[in-house]
Amino acid sequence: MKAKFKLSNLYLVFVFIVIYLPIAYLIFYSFNTGATMDKFTGFSMKHYTTLLSDTRMISIVLNTVVIALLSSLLATLIGTLGALWINQLKRRSAKNAVLSVNNVLMVSPDVIIGASFLIFFSFLGFKLGFTSVLLSHIAFSIPIVVLMVLPKINEMPRTMIDAAYDLGASKWQALSRVILPTITPGIFAGYFMAFTYSLDDFAVTFFVTGNGFSTLSIEIYSRARQGVDLEVNALSTLMFLVSLLLVVGYYVLERYGHSRRVNRNKMMKGPNAQ
Amino acid sequence: MKKLIAIFVGILAVCAVIAGLNHQMNAKTTSNEKKVLNIYNWGDYIDPDLITKFEKQTGYHVVYETFDSNEAMLTKIKQGGTSYDLTVPSDYTVQRMIKSGLVAKIDKSKLSNYKNIDSRFLNLSFDPNNDYSIPYFWGTLGIVYNDQFVQADQVQHWDQLWNPAFKKSIMLTDSARDMLGVALITQGHSMNTTNYSELKSAQEKLNLLMPNVKAVVADEIKMYMKQNEAKIAVTYSGEASEMMSYNKHLHYVVPDEGSNMWFDNIVIPKTAKHKAAAYDFINFMLEPKNAAQNAEYIGYSTPNKAAMKYLPADVRNDKQFYPAESTVKNLEVYKDLPLKVIGNYNDLFLEFKMSK
Repeated sequence: MKAKFKLSNLYLVFVFIVIYLPIAYLIFYSFNTGATMDKFTGFSMKHYTTLLSDTRMISIVLNTVVIALLSSLLATLIGTLGALWINQLKRRSAKNAVLSVNNVLMVSPDVIIGASFLIFFSFLGFKLGFTSVLLSHIAFSIPIVVLMVLPKINEMPRTMIDAAYDLGASKWQALSRVILPTITPGIFAGYFMAFTYSLDDFAVTFFVTGNGFSTLSIEIYSRARQGVDLEVNALSTLMFLVSLLLVVGYYVLERYGHSRRVNRNKMMKGPNAQ
Repeated sequence: MKKLIAIFVGILAVCAVIAGLNHQMNAKTTSNEKKVLNIYNWGDYIDPDLITKFEKQTGYHVVYETFDSNEAMLTKIKQGGTSYDLTVPSDYTVQRMIKSGLVAKIDKSKLSNYKNIDSRFLNLSFDPNNDYSIPYFWGTLGIVYNDQFVQADQVQHWDQLWNPAFKKSIMLTDSARDMLGVALITQGHSMNTTNYSELKSAQEKLNLLMPNVKAVVADEIKMYMKQNEAKIAVTYSGEASEMMSYNKHLHYVVPDEGSNMWFDNIVIPKTAKHKAAAYDFINFMLEPKNAAQNAEYIGYSTPNKAAMKYLPADVRNDKQFYPAESTVKNLEVYKDLPLKVIGNYNDLFLEFKMSK
């Protein structure tokens, strides 16, 4: 038993190395004095200073973040309502049909989604730019949210909602007091999934972006024609650190929230038990 | 529910703050909303200092967008929904854009610096009167070699690539027209041939080169050559100049029996909204000093004759990038061939690649 345990540990370590080594490599070279990733010639922060003085790059990063935050927010709103609607469909065949339509969007390649959006927008005579990117990001994020929220709704005991109605809750009250709090974790998961999808989307954005607007993936791709600049490494390092902080922050909050909830439950149970 | 609403509002607020910040940052550079110039260019294909200088000189705000291939740019412009004031297609794309009516006529009388362009690079087949395009940079297709493995006199002509001594040492650019073009030249045919039997015999000639071929790739060539991992590459002068700035053992040769000469050209798309700004910018870029500065930054060859004297002597006299007249007259510009012929090129080249 013990040997097997060690082997699995080893495997785990190996997987983590495979995943993190390229990132570590990239971070390491962001401190290079030279201009390429061929040879490490010395430690310097110069790529960070060029990055911080590159207003175009910073502006593009901000654009990307705004698009990701907004599109996933709206997609979460629409997707959650959609999931609730799918859930209350009575006929099984209708439910399956709607779910399949949802899944088709999930599995169809980004290139096709992007191309169809481009054709659609230009057919409507829509100006390509911030709005077109935002709309298409919302569109491809919705199915993700639906898929993340739906299982939570299915998990929810029917009897709980029935109980709410029994106790005289209106439809709105049942939704806001019972259903939504129960599926909140699913909504969060959907939001974060949509957020990451939007953040690193290349293909769709590539098609629907217009003049005066660009996102990070597009910009890096265009710059890569001349070989990737170490400024990109510096940027990636910063983004990696930010996401690391977010994950740690989330973890701490979760722990804190959890222990508080446990404490509160204990306190509430206390007098009742007497 | 309260929690969800709070988070919803919170995210909206964060978005507003970021958008505000972004706007503020752009506003610093944009003094007047109306004076804008939208440029759609290849990535890193202009000296950023020149944009700053242009903005200072004229008060325009330049919005600089980038693309990575002619086809991507063409699609964007064709689809509409964009309004770039300037873009920089290569020669055969210029021809295609003229044919599809995507570019506006350029009134040369508004360009006082038009006269600075070397007449050798004007009135070429893709735009016979330069009614639509102004040459931006030009270059050639040639041979890059590493002097640690190869003697200079071993690679002065295309034919020499077939030398059995170069077994598995040549990197080819993955481009049907360029590689079949090389074979066509060695057989004394035009790189723009539409004759199928000529193409077929060119393919047979290429097949004989296969034992010498290390790989048929695109951007990877640069990395291989920089790191001394390949001896010879067939590639464009622009790529070559970049490799050479990293590895002093690399040299570039344009075989004097002929090769391809390519042009990247400034055009004004029909959808442009700020034509006056576009003219100002073209004229600004044609100013000898600016053209020279740009050429030094990019490392490609400038078609601006008046700019030559502002270039350092070692750049100006570099036969690798400014070949002698006797070579230049043998260089051919690609014509936009009928779709069917392009298909032939691609099919034959694919067969060649598969034969490996």
